[in-house]
Amino acid sequence: MTSAILPLPLIVLGAPLLAFILVACTPLKRRGELAAQVVIALSTLSFAAAAMLFWDQLESPDAIQRWTTSWMPTAGVPLAEVGWHVDGTSAPMLVVVGLVALCVQVYSVGYLDHEPSASIGRYYAWQALFIFSMQSLVLAPNLLQLFMGWELVGLCSYLLIGFWWRKPAAAKASVKAFWVTKTADGGLLLGLILLYSATKGFEWDPAGLSTSQLNVITLLLLLGVMGKSAQVPLHIWLPDAMQGPTPVSALLHAATMVAAGIFLVVRAWPLFEGAPMTLDAMLWVGSITAFLAACFALVQDDIKKMLAFSTCSQLGYMLAALGAGGMAAGYFHLTTHAFFKALLFLGAGSLIHAMGTNSMKAMGGLWRSMPGTFLLFTIGSLALAGLFPLAGFYSKDLVLESLHHNQSWIPLGLLMAGVGLTATYVGRSLFLVFGGTCRSPDAHPHEAPFSMMFPMVILGALTICAGFLLVGPFHTLLGVDGGFHWTPLGIAGLVIALSGIGFAYWQVRNDRSISALQPVSALIQSAPLDRAYERVWHGVLLATGRAIAWIDRYVIDGAINGFGWACVVLADRAKRLQTGRLDHYVGALVGGAVAIVLYSVIVYSLWGGGL
Amino acid sequence: MTMTADLQLWLLLSAVLFCTGIFGLLTRRGALGMLLSIELMVNAININLIAFGCYRGDHTGQVIALFGIALTVAEVAVGLALLIQMSRTMKTLEIQHAKELNG
Repeated sequence: MTSAILPLPLIVLGAPLLAFILVACTPLKRRGELAAQVVIALSTLSFAAAAMLFWDQLESPDAIQRWTTSWMPTAGVPLAEVGWHVDGTSAPMLVVVGLVALCVQVYSVGYLDHEPSASIGRYYAWQALFIFSMQSLVLAPNLLQLFMGWELVGLCSYLLIGFWWRKPAAAKASVKAFWVTKTADGGLLLGLILLYSATKGFEWDPAGLSTSQLNVITLLLLLGVMGKSAQVPLHIWLPDAMQGPTPVSALLHAATMVAAGIFLVVRAWPLFEGAPMTLDAMLWVGSITAFLAACFALVQDDIKKMLAFSTCSQLGYMLAALGAGGMAAGYFHLTTHAFFKALLFLGAGSLIHAMGTNSMKAMGGLWRSMPGTFLLFTIGSLALAGLFPLAGFYSKDLVLESLHHNQSWIPLGLLMAGVGLTATYVGRSLFLVFGGTCRSPDAHPHEAPFSMMFPMVILGALTICAGFLLVGPFHTLLGVDGGFHWTPLGIAGLVIALSGIGFAYWQVRNDRSISALQPVSALIQSAPLDRAYERVWHGVLLATGRAIAWIDRYVIDGAINGFGWACVVLADRAKRLQTGRLDHYVGALVGGAVAIVLYSVIVYSLWGGGL
Repeated sequence: MTMTADLQLWLLLSAVLFCTGIFGLLTRRGALGMLLSIELMVNAININLIAFGCYRGDHTGQVIALFGIALTVAEVAVGLALLIQMSRTMKTLEIQHAKELNG
């Protein structure tokens, strides 16, 4: 099933790019509703092409569709190639990005209906640019194009977090996200440069690289991954990024963009596989993040921040699985997480839309007034907690299995504790939001409009069935043996999750805060860490500034002043030649003439007129 | 033979005149004296020109010498005008007093 007119990957990339250009460069940007329709139509086209590519890939898992053209020819040899590369690794991500983006765009029509028309046009322009950037990241035939897409999604993230840029918190959050990820991207860029200098290319082929080279390169790449995927200690930007509109949080900061880090590891798996030190680092960073971020989520009252920390935590699970060598497990968890976390964020958006507040303490008893949202949010939450038979159960079980298989006991313990914590905070949010009675007497909650419910229903359906439907095909696509089996570990995970929910019920019912976690809750605002980073940055910036000021003052200004001073001094010396006295001039004239005559006589007599 | 001996005598005269002129130019304090010394040097050159002209048996030297005399007249006219101005403004022709153009 291939398109007769245009190659499918070209449609995947071209449609959103066309939408972006149409909306950004024409008067469409002032007509928000029309812009939304254009972008959604072209995103649908892009998603359809992505889905067809996925289908093709399912039919022939080993096939590779690749087309490249040289980019930046330097002295006859191009620096790199750009184009697309569709294989078993990129196909699932294509569908995930296309589908979640489409859902979010449809949802945004309802969510942003009170915004001014021009803002909506701007919003949809960035949305279209995001799809293009993310898909070109996913389709990248080498790591350089992936890096370009990576930076472009970073830009979209910055622009969309700052959507309400008049709000100082949103403007600050967007700058913070940009700075933190850019700092981490320094490592990624350095890794790519090292890779290029070692192999004269940006391929993910480890041929000709020693283990120590692989270790260094992938550790640097991992730094970029930690920034993008919000791993401790670079997670500080993600909770702040929740200042953006909730659909943006769903798409960029839960489902796809933050998962780009995980995708990079999966994409460049041949490199990472051969670097044992990096794998260990990933295992530890991932499991520590999974545990700590779950602790942070447990004490949050802001529903979006809770979900943000939960995203950090789940990304930690993925990274830990990859570190343990479970490439398929990490990638599968990415996929299912994209569905249920997007669903949760859209559900949270629907709650916020109805209540006008982010605080879970202000909600309550909403299952009566918002039954649809209640049902879908519960499905998403239970999937996040990892309950059978929802998608999260399968992928989380695979993650735990891969750690068990790798015999990394302490990280496994951290992740198991994380399962309990996850179930607790999930349960807590469910009971707080939907249980009991409404704690804001003035609010008049209402069910979300159809344009918001419909995407949630789609994601809800996927959350229910993606686990058992996709777990098999996924392993086939990646060419990895394995699949889901019932094991004692899976049952233990279920028991822990259920008891976590039970504990949450007890806690909410008796109105207990978890006092043992108070020290942690001091950390959750991430204020000490922020301040430490700020101090380091201030130090670095101030030192650089002082050095530059010194160079400016003494080297550059010194050179210019010195030049002027030398001119003055030399001119002062030279002017003394001009005495103004005629006899001196005459003497010089005669002396000069005599000297010339003497010179010619001497030269003539010595060399016989040869000179 | 005589022509060569004559030429050498004329050249000797010319050289003596020229050196007298240089000596005067270097030692005179008065501007008028310096001007006169320059005249001596110019005339030494004229003698040179005419002597070589005779020696070669053509009139080129004499023609150039005539031009030289005409030029000298012009030069003296300018020079004397300057000296008159100098004596009017500075009340002296002593050359060491004219040093306002120092750097």
